[in-house]
Amino acid sequence: MLVSWNWIKDYLGDTTLTAADAANLLGMHAFELEGIEETDGDTVIDVDILPNRSSDCLCQRGIARELASITGTPLAHDPLATQPELPSCTDILVDIADTNACPRFSASLMRGIAVGESPQWLKDRLEAIGQRPINNIVDATNYVMFAIGQPIHAYDAALFPQVDGAWRFAVRFARAEEQVKLLPEAGKDEERVVTCQGTELLIVDQSSDTPIGLAGVKGGSFAGVHDGTTDIIIETAHFHPTVTRKTARRLGIVIDASKRFENEPSRELIPYTQAEVTKLIADIAGGTLEGVVDVYPEHVEPVTTTIDPVRVNALLGLSLAVTDMVTLLERLGATVHRDTDKLEVISPWERTDLAIEEDYIEEIGRLHGYQHVQAVAPTPRSLPEMEMNARQYYSEVMRHTLLAAGFSEVITSSFRKKDEVQLKNALASDKRYLRSNLTKNITETLDTNASFADLLGTNDTRVFEIGTVFHKTETGIGEHVSLALGVRVKPSGYSGKEDAGVDQTIEVMNEALGTNLPTPINAHASGTTKTGVAFRYEKGVLEIDFTHLIKTLPQPEAYLPVTVGEAIQYQPFSTYPYVTRDIAMWVGESTPANEVETLLNEHAGSLRVRTTQFDEFTKDGRTSLGFRLVFQSKEKTLTDSEVNAVMETIYTAVSERGWEVR
Amino acid sequence: MRTPGHQHPITRMVTEINSIFAELGFVFADGPEVESEHYNFDRLNVPKNHPSRDMQDTFWFKDDDVAEATVLRTHTSPVQARYMESHAEQLPIRMICPGKVFRNEATDATHEAQFFQLEGLEVGEGIHLGHLKGTIEYFFEHFLGGDVEVRFRPGFFPFVEPGVEVDMRLLSGDSNLKGKWIELMGAGMVHPNVLRDSGIDPQKYSGYAFGMGIDRLAVMKYGINDVRDLYTGDLRFVNQF
Repeated sequence: MLVSWNWIKDYLGDTTLTAADAANLLGMHAFELEGIEETDGDTVIDVDILPNRSSDCLCQRGIARELASITGTPLAHDPLATQPELPSCTDILVDIADTNACPRFSASLMRGIAVGESPQWLKDRLEAIGQRPINNIVDATNYVMFAIGQPIHAYDAALFPQVDGAWRFAVRFARAEEQVKLLPEAGKDEERVVTCQGTELLIVDQSSDTPIGLAGVKGGSFAGVHDGTTDIIIETAHFHPTVTRKTARRLGIVIDASKRFENEPSRELIPYTQAEVTKLIADIAGGTLEGVVDVYPEHVEPVTTTIDPVRVNALLGLSLAVTDMVTLLERLGATVHRDTDKLEVISPWERTDLAIEEDYIEEIGRLHGYQHVQAVAPTPRSLPEMEMNARQYYSEVMRHTLLAAGFSEVITSSFRKKDEVQLKNALASDKRYLRSNLTKNITETLDTNASFADLLGTNDTRVFEIGTVFHKTETGIGEHVSLALGVRVKPSGYSGKEDAGVDQTIEVMNEALGTNLPTPINAHASGTTKTGVAFRYEKGVLEIDFTHLIKTLPQPEAYLPVTVGEAIQYQPFSTYPYVTRDIAMWVGESTPANEVETLLNEHAGSLRVRTTQFDEFTKDGRTSLGFRLVFQSKEKTLTDSEVNAVMETIYTAVSERGWEVR
Repeated sequence: MRTPGHQHPITRMVTEINSIFAELGFVFADGPEVESEHYNFDRLNVPKNHPSRDMQDTFWFKDDDVAEATVLRTHTSPVQARYMESHAEQLPIRMICPGKVFRNEATDATHEAQFFQLEGLEVGEGIHLGHLKGTIEYFFEHFLGGDVEVRFRPGFFPFVEPGVEVDMRLLSGDSNLKGKWIELMGAGMVHPNVLRDSGIDPQKYSGYAFGMGIDRLAVMKYGINDVRDLYTGDLRFVNQF
């Protein structure tokens, strides 16, 4: 949420704080700070208001109040400080069918206003927090909502039919198939017509029983304020957060008003809102307040919570004095009574989120400052018997074995384009299903990586994965951990030469696990082992039900020791194609291969990414050495001529050393 | 003798994490990736139709396929609830759960729809925020090698109260991260509703919980620039480890 520092200062009064100080205090004591930006004549602070504070802090005054609580300096001007006294009005009647869904509804009547442009200060305020000024009436309702958090709607009284001299609002649930016309969505001109299911709460013009708005979600264009409007009715009400949320979610409407209603602002805000908005309109659009009707049948009393100071310190790891706790709670606006060894705390009325002792413990902790929490070093404890994680243990055993056999480990996507288990709401059309096996992913991984063999400097491509797969069962969705490994010799695909590598791997796995997976597991087959472990083995890829396999193995007693390797600094890899060049040459019989390799590398320049020796034989007192050089750029696709130029340099260097290129 | 293969950085980190926490007696716990709405949300004090549900975009299974509302777990936190429930009579407990989680969110260089999280939990008598701070410091000193400083800022996660955001900075070593505050994770004291629903008396016992992205640790520890590379099976990536 965007916060205007100029606006905040209206509430703070004279302050030595800078916007940067304020942002820092908010970040360390209240909210996640998203950013701070200097604008023309103002500073805008962006804070992330999470659901626990969306009831009272989705507004500028809420933020100012937070700063006051943090610094201990009360607000100089607080629109919520004193309960307003408003004249009553008998010309507006309100009929609430369900006071649980709509516990409070108020409307005020103003006469003699003049619609026009807002004054510059008001436009500046709205623009600072990303709002577009429209006219003085709409701007006033928006301003007050952003100031204190309570949404407001204005009607043209002349366009709102009267019955026996009175305007009649009703609030009731929709009937199935009933239609409501809503104001156009942002960026559109056309009204949106919504067909109700019956769960939606409606605001209705009772004279004709016409729905005029979806309560808490969105208003309609009924009796809209226009340039010639002189008399207005200003509605502000409280709607049940869940009723609002369900309708808003179903229709996909998230606007500033619905967001606030969903988060249950205090019901007590209503009269303050009427006082603020009617006063502002009188100031900027003229007119007088005739009166306000406020239907609020069941008052809600503020919550009283008992707090044990011992528990406060016990959970926070602090040793605060009780008097310090009281001071911090009073800075929040709470009323505190000391009762022998406990505190009785009445929440500030605008804080609907404070309900249990732990809520107040958090308030005390954050206002005091978490920097005061001293770290307690953990005391070592031995692992409980039988709590060794067999999956982790045997996964590690398999990793050690497979890594030693030249397999690299991959983690592939759990999503697939088509498989057995479909998601209700997929992220993309190629991610609609969950994988039922790893074989397909491993096969695709081999397809991709086999063409990188030269770049990676390997003779064949070997990969494995240990991961969860999903399938349908009679009662729901089942899952188990699967282990799959695959070998690929040629980039063109499975050649049959892979089977020997897989068969050897099965043998070393058996040795490591003490199992007897059949060796070789019948090629091109799937089935179960003698101990009932399901496997499939096809085209150089073996997959085993690892969850089941572990069940046949003894419970481990200690994890494998962990060797801490050297620190690794990752380098982003190039996605451009690579080019290979082979070079073979005659050298003296005593010339070591690494001397030749060093020379090659020296002259190959920065485009060389790998040199692999592929050949060596001695004949007639000379040795022939063969190397494959791999070239790749991080910036572009290399051309033949670029690589050829490098090779020319190398040929020259080789010749100068007296070696004969073959 | 073959050239050895390369271990994936995620499982390499999981193993290191486990070895550090096992020294302290933290049990490596598991839980299902296909999780009931009950454990993924309700038991973690995230009620239906509450705005706190919006904090995590969720993959759901089709109604016809499941007997109760079921999701791909959005976090490893349901394992907390499962572990507390099964160990309510065996307190004190210390537990970690590294595992894959899923979010129905657009992906970019710092977000994947599937990623790994590390959950941590300790419940016992007299556990407070200072124990959380000390344990996180201990972990990072061993995981990154060097002195670290941890700080808390206010945070909100429905299953903890108080809730904190945890930042860390390296105080020693020659890493380019040295001296910078890094946002690491969410944490806090286990919410009394979560303890109670797991069969633990919140008046007698307290506990802390933390959850962090292991992918983020990879970014921090190895300098990985795009977390999506972790899950492509591309050996040009894996072979650097």
